[in-house]
This record gives sequence, C-alpha cells and structure tokens, in this order.
Amino acid sequence: MSETDLAVIKPEMMKPYVWLQTSDDSIQQVEQEIAMFCPLICQEIIQKGMGSSKNCAICLPQQVSPAMLSLILDYCRFHQVPGRSNKERKSYDEKFVRIDTERLCELTSAADSLQLKPLVDLTSRALARIIEGKTPEEIRDIFHLPDDLTEEEKLEPLRNITADPRIRLLNRLYAKKRKELKERERLKNVEVEEEHVDDRSVDDLLSFINGNDGDPKGVKTSKNKKKNRRKKEQQKNSSLKEASELNKKEVNGHDIRHQSSEAEIISETSYLHYAEDDAFTSKPEFDDGDIDDEIDPALKEKIDREVEDFARRLNSDWPERMQELLSSGQERKTVLFTADGFIRRHA
Amino acid sequence: MGRAPPEFPCLTDMDPDRISYLPGHVIDQILSHLSIKEAVKTSVLSSKWRYKWATLPNLVFDNQFVSAAVQDHMIVKNKLLRTVDHVLLLHSGPINKFKLSHRDLLGVTDIDRWTLHVSRKAVKEFVLEIWKGQRYKIHSCLYCCQSLTHLELFNCWLKPPSTFKGFKNLTSLDLQHVTLAQDAFENLISSCPVLERLTLMNFDGFTHLNIDTPNLLFFDIGGKFEDISFENTFQLAVVSIGLYVNFEINQSRLRGGYSNLLKFFVNLPHLQRLEIQSYFLKYLAAGIVPINLPRPCIDLSYLSIRINLNDLKEISAALCLLRSSPNLQELEILARQEEQTLTITHNYCWEDVFFSCPEMHMRNVKIDGISGIKPELDFISFLLLHCPVLERMTVIPVSNMGTELMKQLLRCRRASRQAEIIYLDP
Repeated sequence: MSETDLAVIKPEMMKPYVWLQTSDDSIQQVEQEIAMFCPLICQEIIQKGMGSSKNCAICLPQQVSPAMLSLILDYCRFHQVPGRSNKERKSYDEKFVRIDTERLCELTSAADSLQLKPLVDLTSRALARIIEGKTPEEIRDIFHLPDDLTEEEKLEPLRNITADPRIRLLNRLYAKKRKELKERERLKNVEVEEEHVDDRSVDDLLSFINGNDGDPKGVKTSKNKKKNRRKKEQQKNSSLKEASELNKKEVNGHDIRHQSSEAEIISETSYLHYAEDDAFTSKPEFDDGDIDDEIDPALKEKIDREVEDFARRLNSDWPERMQELLSSGQERKTVLFTADGFIRRHA
Repeated sequence: MGRAPPEFPCLTDMDPDRISYLPGHVIDQILSHLSIKEAVKTSVLSSKWRYKWATLPNLVFDNQFVSAAVQDHMIVKNKLLRTVDHVLLLHSGPINKFKLSHRDLLGVTDIDRWTLHVSRKAVKEFVLEIWKGQRYKIHSCLYCCQSLTHLELFNCWLKPPSTFKGFKNLTSLDLQHVTLAQDAFENLISSCPVLERLTLMNFDGFTHLNIDTPNLLFFDIGGKFEDISFENTFQLAVVSIGLYVNFEINQSRLRGGYSNLLKFFVNLPHLQRLEIQSYFLKYLAAGIVPINLPRPCIDLSYLSIRINLNDLKEISAALCLLRSSPNLQELEILARQEEQTLTITHNYCWEDVFFSCPEMHMRNVKIDGISGIKPELDFISFLLLHCPVLERMTVIPVSNMGTELMKQLLRCRRASRQAEIIYLDP
C-alpha cells in the first residue's frame, strides 16, 4: 500500500502488535494494548524495548504455554475495556475459572509468572474454593497428589502433640514408673512414721564410698548377721533389685527421695525387672523392725556411689569422670547416657 | 532464540500433580482464602504439603475456628488454647496478621505469651477481641512492636509504659470498649505520625479529646467526652462523631464568645463527609452559633445530622452548617426523639431562625423521624425553597401520622421543578 493509502486507513488497523514467544518456542503476534495488561510484558516492552519484531520477540516464562497465553489474553481483552460494570466483570470472572483443576493450576502458574495479580487472585480463590470442605482423600484425588506420608506422619496436626508413637510409649512408661513410685512412697511413708531419723553424719555415710567394705562405723554390730544375709540377697538378686529395695529401707527422708529420683531415671528394663521383683515378697523374711532400723552398709555404699555418680553426671565433668572410672579399683557399673536420654546400665 | 533449560519442573511434564509446584507465595495466597483449620489440614495431603501451610501470612483464630459442635465452654477454650499454641509454634516466617476473636476466649494470660510471640515475628496487623469479662490488660511487649500498621482492640485495658514512644508505622487504630488514661491517650495519638484512620467507641478513662496527628484521614468516634478539638489535622476528610451523653450546657462557661461550632471547624478545612450523631449537635450548638462559618466547607459533600428539631439552637447550628457548605450534595436529617418533658416551641419568629441563605445545591435530602411539629415543617419548607437542584426528598415519619403531615407537605413551595417528595411509611 502506498503511504497515502495508509493514511486513509482507519486507526484501528494500525494498532501496534508485539511478538511473544511461548514455552514451546512458537512466536505469535498480539495486540500491544492487550499484552501490556500483563506487567511483565509491559516491563519488557518499555524497559528493554523488546517485542517489536519477530526477531526480538519477548520470551515469556516457562509456565506460559500457547494455550495458557490464549486464556490469559482473553482475560486481558475483557478486562482492559474500561466501560464494564463491576457486575459484568464479576460474572465474567466466575465463568472464566470454570475450567478443570489441572488447567486452573497451570493458569495460576502462568498468570503468576506474568505478574498478573488480579488473575492470580481470581485463580487462587477458585482453587481455595475447591479445597475447602473436602476430605484429604478427595483433595488428593482432585489434584493427583501422591499419598506418600506414612500413617505415623498423617497425624491430625491439630491434635495432641503426644500423638507421636514414641512419645506415647514414653508417656506410658513414665506413667507406669510414677505409679510404682507412688506405691513405694506410700509404703515407705507407712514405715517412716514408725521410725526414727537416721542421725549419722553425711561424712560417715560418705566414708563408705572410699572403699571401706568392711564393718563401717556406727553400724550396730548386732546386725552383722542380718548384714550377711542381706549381702547374700544382694548377690542373688540383680543389682537393680537392690536399688528398688533401698527405697523401702529407712535411710533418711532426703536420701529416699534422692533414691526415688535415682530410681526414676533407671532404664526401662530395670523397671520391668522391678515389676517382677520379689523384693516385696522377700521382705517378710526379715524382722520388720530390723530392716527399718539400719542400712545395710554395702547397700548404703551402693546408694551413695550412685548418688555421687548422678551428681557428677549433672555437672558434666566428663574428663574427670573418665579418669575416676578408669582408676577406680572397685567393681563399678558404668552408667552412660544414650542418645534419647535414658540412662542405661552396662555391666 | 534459544531457551535456557527450565529451572524447575516444566508443567508440560507428565507429572499430574501441578498444584504442589506452584510458587510459595501463590500457595500462601490459596491457603489464605481458607480458614486456619482447613489450611493446617493440608499438611496431611502429601509429603510436599507437610509444611506448606506453615508460611501462612495471616493467622485468624475466630469463631469459625473451633467447631461450635462442642458446647462445653471449658473444652472449647482448652482446645482453642492448645491449637493456638500449636499453630504458633509450627508456623515459620513472618506473620502479617494475627487475629484472636472467640466467644469462649476470656482474658487468659496465654494471650500475653502469644502477643510476645507475634510481636517478635514482626506482625503488622493485630486484632484482639475479648468478648466477655473484664477489660484485658494488654501486655507491654505490644507497645514495643514497631512493625504494627493496624491495631484493633475490643474490651481491653491499655496502659503503655512510660518509655512508650508511639507506633511509628501505625496507620490504622481501632479501639472499642477500652480503658485508657487521659495522658496515655494523648501520647498515643500524637506519637503515631502516620496514623490515617482512628476509630474510638465506648471508651473510658479520658474525656478530653485533642486529636493531633497530621495524616489523619478518617475519624470515627462514639462515646462520652467533654470536649473535642482538632489540631494539625488538615487532611481529615471523613468524620463521624457521636456524643452519647446528653451533656448539660454549663451556664458558667458562657463567658465571652466561645463557640463550640467555630472551634470544631477551625482545623477541618477539607472535610468531605460529616456525621453528627447522638447529642453532638447539642454540644456544637453550645455557646455562640454564628450565621456562617468564617471559612466555608467547600469539600463537604455529605452531611448527616441527628437533631432535636424542638431545640432552636440546634436548628440554628444545622442551618449555619448548611449555609457554609456550598457543595453539599446529600443531606440526612435524623430527628432525635427527646422525652416529652421538653416544651414544644411554637412561638418563634420564623424569619429569625430561617432567614434566607445562598442557594443550596443538595440533590438528595432525607428526613427521618418526623413527628409533625411546627419546626420540622418549617425546616422542610425551608429546604424546599432553597434547593433549586433538588431531585429527591424522602420523608419518613416516626409513626403513622395520618394525612395531616402529608397535607402540610403538599402545600410547600418548591424551588426545584424536578423535586420528588417521597413519603415513606414508618
């Protein structure tokens, strides 16, 4: 056409076009004012001067396939006309998002990549409406989500935190221990009322730790027989049983409590042992009075050793401890923390 | 032109699960249209969805949150407490909005803990509504939260510490049923430099309102106060004031020429919408009522007045306003029904009160609560005479008046040819 002809042609014919390249590398021509509705395209045209010809077509993001581009352009074409009423726009929008969910997701992604906020808002609302009120199975079905969580992980997140099976097991064990301790406390309290407080000094008690296996001071010699019997008992029973037995013995209020806490941190296995423990049953063998009167020194030694050990653990003097352990001549049970915080005893 | 290889899975791939690959902010947007409960439930959908909800920007715990099926308040309350704890702990990232508004949530001290937590997460909008019980004292950590842009409190007690320097980013403040000391109030308002919207309803602890904040655009207040003044509020465009107490004009204050009306309007040059509710017109009418305001309210396009049409002073005040608002488009007159102890004023000179004024350009006038007394009819006829471009006048009587009122209305002369008078049934 000659130039004069061009001048006569109506302005609409001369609308500028931009060239857009979609994800499949195909290039198409789009009216500029419609394409400019998308901020990303707008930016490319204005700031970088792209899109004016086929050679410098604007390269659209990966998410924009030709089908998606056509949908988006439809949307832009409708909304960029200023004269429409809100009702019209709303009605168009509602119809616009009535597409299958797969395409809806694709459209959301494409709109987001082009920074077309109104369309992203529209599609995300539509997706939310789809998700709303449905069961997880239904949602997985609609969106083709893989059902790849273990039963454990599928805990209803708003429920109790102790839904974790490990924690549940732990709680059960703790509950058991607590119950047992309560039992022991109850029995002990009955005994305590009858008994006088042991008034040996701490130093005396601690002196046992320093390898004094023999006849400790302050112990009534008349109890020797009993002591021997108890020693036999000791060797017969597991060391763990002793610990539990001690809780019944009258030491003094403080120590018993200490032992209770000590007993509490003993491993589950020891507790399970305790459950079958015949310490209760063996009790009647002794004179009740005798048992309550004194502490078997060897047992006492054991207690104190454990107490000190525990204290030391709390202070975390590891090198010091190691040295002690290595240099210790006595048979000691090493006590180590395991990864999950339980104290397990190794022979 | 070659294309760089895709950085993330191309959606044309065979993977049908497209939604999981949407960018994080888009997923946030989708989930934000769901209730918190539904959003958190998405964590069981698949391994990818486990923590997608955890970046939700808005956490809204309201009545829809805990199902109303369980009627026992204690159970509901405990469930609510546990759930808020859960969600807050599992949430990651900044929190944009935190709203707590539940019927069964009394002023529990857990709220303090949550307040501290969200203020550390740079919360921007904080809404707390305590439905029942005493005013809940807001924890002091909230006053240090400089990220706040919107603060909304219902049934709370505010006691800012002495070190409180204001909210530097607060643009919107909404306090209803709050207790706040006078100096604390003044300090709060004047130390929020970018405050644009202020709503105060049913407050106690302060009675003198001195509104001094330069960027205020919207002001809505309803409560009991003794006086109100504006300072440095030149951008204020929308004002709605309701004085809920029938204050008695203190005769001893009638010294000199004080005028509440003048004082009120002196610093409001750009008012666009004004609502005068309850007894506020009575307050404004105290003192001297000028014929005109010194500076006309040229931007005022909407005016709504609650007026006692038995009170001549109030009528004068209203007329002063009408005369000083050349661009008023819409007028609403709501008659305040006083107890019948007031004397009905019959004997006044019409001209003294309703003397002529420049033409008013209202298009739409609504008069509600007419009971047929003479000043009302005078007012209506005055309006009809001086509004040449009036399109519609709607009259709503307070009770079935019979035809007497209608007869009177028919007689009125109208300056506007297009004027319709619509008489609605009560």
